[in-house]
Amino acid sequence: MAYFQTAKQAASLLTLALCLVAVPFVTNDFRAYQLGTYLLYGVVAQGVALVWGRLGFLPLGQALFFGLGAYVAGLLFIHAQDNALLYLLLPLSILVPALLAYLVARLVFAGQYVSGPDFSLITLALTMLGAQLANQFTGLTGGFNGLANIPQLGDLDRYSSMYFLIVALVLFSTALLSWLYQTPLGTLWLAISQNENRLQFFGFATDKLKAGAFALSAALAGSAGFLYAAQQGLVTPQAIGFQLSAELVIWTAVGGRFGPYGALLGAVGIGLLSSDLREIWVHWEVLVALLFIAVVLYFPGGMAHLLLNAYQFINRRSGTHVPVYAVAPKTPGLRAPPLQSCGGDSGPVHLRFDNVSVQRNEVSILNGLSLAVEHAGVYCLIGPNGAGKTSSFNVLTGRLARTSGDIFLDSQRVTGHRADVMARAGVGRKFQIPSVFNGLSVTDNLRIALWSNRAQARQLLESTTRQWRTDMLDFLENTFTFLADQADKPAGELSQGQRQMLELSMTLLAEPRLLLLDEPCAGLSTAETQQQIEVIVQAVSRLGSTALVIEHDMAAVQRLSNEVFVLHQGQLLANGTLKQMQESPLVQAVYAGGQK
Amino acid sequence: MDSSTITLLLNLVYHVLVLSLVALGLGMVFGMLGVMNMAQGEFLTLGAYAMVVAQRMQIAAGWGILMAILVTATLGYLIERWLVRPLQTRPLDTLLATWGLSLLVRKGIEAVFGRQYQNITQQIGGSTQIFSVDYPSYRLALMLAIVCGLLMLCLWYKHSTAGTRLKASVANPVLAQAIGIDVKRQACMAFVCGVACTGLAGALLAPLVRVEPLMGMDYLLGSFFVLVVGGLGSLSGLFAGAGIIGSTQVLVSTMLDQTYGYLAVLTLSIGFLWLRPHGLLSNR
Repeated sequence: MAYFQTAKQAASLLTLALCLVAVPFVTNDFRAYQLGTYLLYGVVAQGVALVWGRLGFLPLGQALFFGLGAYVAGLLFIHAQDNALLYLLLPLSILVPALLAYLVARLVFAGQYVSGPDFSLITLALTMLGAQLANQFTGLTGGFNGLANIPQLGDLDRYSSMYFLIVALVLFSTALLSWLYQTPLGTLWLAISQNENRLQFFGFATDKLKAGAFALSAALAGSAGFLYAAQQGLVTPQAIGFQLSAELVIWTAVGGRFGPYGALLGAVGIGLLSSDLREIWVHWEVLVALLFIAVVLYFPGGMAHLLLNAYQFINRRSGTHVPVYAVAPKTPGLRAPPLQSCGGDSGPVHLRFDNVSVQRNEVSILNGLSLAVEHAGVYCLIGPNGAGKTSSFNVLTGRLARTSGDIFLDSQRVTGHRADVMARAGVGRKFQIPSVFNGLSVTDNLRIALWSNRAQARQLLESTTRQWRTDMLDFLENTFTFLADQADKPAGELSQGQRQMLELSMTLLAEPRLLLLDEPCAGLSTAETQQQIEVIVQAVSRLGSTALVIEHDMAAVQRLSNEVFVLHQGQLLANGTLKQMQESPLVQAVYAGGQK
Repeated sequence: MDSSTITLLLNLVYHVLVLSLVALGLGMVFGMLGVMNMAQGEFLTLGAYAMVVAQRMQIAAGWGILMAILVTATLGYLIERWLVRPLQTRPLDTLLATWGLSLLVRKGIEAVFGRQYQNITQQIGGSTQIFSVDYPSYRLALMLAIVCGLLMLCLWYKHSTAGTRLKASVANPVLAQAIGIDVKRQACMAFVCGVACTGLAGALLAPLVRVEPLMGMDYLLGSFFVLVVGGLGSLSGLFAGAGIIGSTQVLVSTMLDQTYGYLAVLTLSIGFLWLRPHGLLSNR
């Protein structure tokens, strides 16, 4: 499959290269010069498509990085005429935008697990600030009239040979993004746009991943700005401001935000058209705005998607053979590397809640909860609704801030640690409502879980990482046969019960030392419940881990464990064997127990 | 206190009040529907242009204000019905669609009125002496009107049944629906009131600010900063946010320069998103 994809990618790239190189010969140098500018915008739009289409957050101020790159490069070109050493600083035109983007994204994303509107508005504010600063610091930027008299880049003539350097950048950027999209990192990017929360519980610091991708998009914008300065010989505040930022988003949307070709197509198609039409027809831009809204509502894939559909339709009509990339033959699989050591402790996990309270307004959610777990095995958490079972999981994984008290994991204080930090410390969690990556295939869902705490940065770029297997995966695929039989099905199309099993499998594949399972059998049939319980018991003993299971079904509790914690009104009421609990008058008083 | 300090203080109060008024609309829409309406600023622009139309038609400014409210409320109703409600479960698409709408409104205004600044005559001219300084009368009247309006709103929100229903819908829409509150209608009302409130702000501010197609953006960002710092879902959060953002902007702008004032509030907002993502006072 990887081979086919690579061949297809190479063919697309070659077609693009031939078309672009042919332009100056088919038309003339001026047309090519004009096209060159919009190709540069296209590279910036590819960056917008990267973070928006892949990672799911929308930058509304991408021109900031383009303009920043252009100003830095322009200034260096001008001053390097006197001091050639300054040429060495040229990489700054790419590095400065990338660093700024990384910093802003890290700060904004630090406390989030869903991409909200904050990032978009902050980037919008930044691009407006950029234009204001460019207008104001006349001494440095030339103010409103811009930074003029930027010399040509070496011997490259602005109106002829420069075009080929731009084409080189376009091809590089397209190839880089196409390659990245099919690496494991590309899969993680998609996973972020679908369910960032879940990814954090596999130990991925999504804020860093998002900031990294945004920095890459800014670096692409900066390098386009670099060539723009040399090609235009003039950089004005328009190159950094709001207007261009807005157009970049429109081009990306209309062209197609899910891949590098669509964005390029949008920038060149709509951009060139607009540059001619906006002068002669006053309502053109109104039409573009309407087109944008229509695309958002009805054609999220943009022109690229429509073209692809049309191409496939024509191929089918004319009877040409359309290659169908069926399920690749099962690869033999590579043994996955061991887990990266998390704190060094092996052996059973020691967990201790020490008088933990959570107060929200007048409501007391946890009320001095204290409990300790020292030996490996399965423990059940029971208690009436509102007893604080799920809340105790939330406090432990940094999703609920505690008012007082502390939590210790292996005698280390972990109170208030973020979900991804806890996951890296060996805490895995399965949610009450199954939470998987709905748009990704079953296999990709399992892979992401396998990469958790295992894959190093380098391995996220290697295609062989996709073939990793572990004993646990063999065990799970043998038990839950749909994991292998329906490997290519999107997880969102599975039944509710299958999603429960998939999420449990994913949680187990990360091989955590402490498993938090929130009603793992909810919505399962009796037979499925049996199977699910069997998997939990076997996997926990294989891993030598500790599992805390929230469960209402007393028959299930009976089969899962001997040790039971009864929670009531945010406190530990009693603990012991299920039998002891059922006989305890204290427990009977608040919680009669019973079957599903 | 010398007169320049008093003028500064008055400016400060003026800006905080205006910011509260403008952010109130966005806060209603964002807090109630969870929808970031990127076209909120353009409703302010529309309100201001209603005054331009009133002036061209040579009718009284009061009619202009009424027109501003009617136009923005009607448009708000249509948009809630046809754009926001269908996208309810896709928050990113709502952001995009309203952003597209803001573009559409700006370009539409540009096509009709052109890009140039519009001049609106003040209905209350001259200046009034207050605390021994001369301060523009229109600004003073506006400040008084905003204080009265916000006070009434606070009382209504706290004591009326409608206010309680609204609070219930914000806190738990599913439960509110279950006990017989028409949450959809509440959401629609909140959206219409939110944008009409912003439209009214635009009409009232029109004589004092530069009126041009792009004017709404600054107000959208200003309101957003207020909500980031203050937190969503409560009036006290809104006032706290407006107080902090407004006074930072005025103080830094007066001491240094407008751009630095903008830089200061932007940095402050990023800092809040980083360290206190729910704002100072939040119901969430």
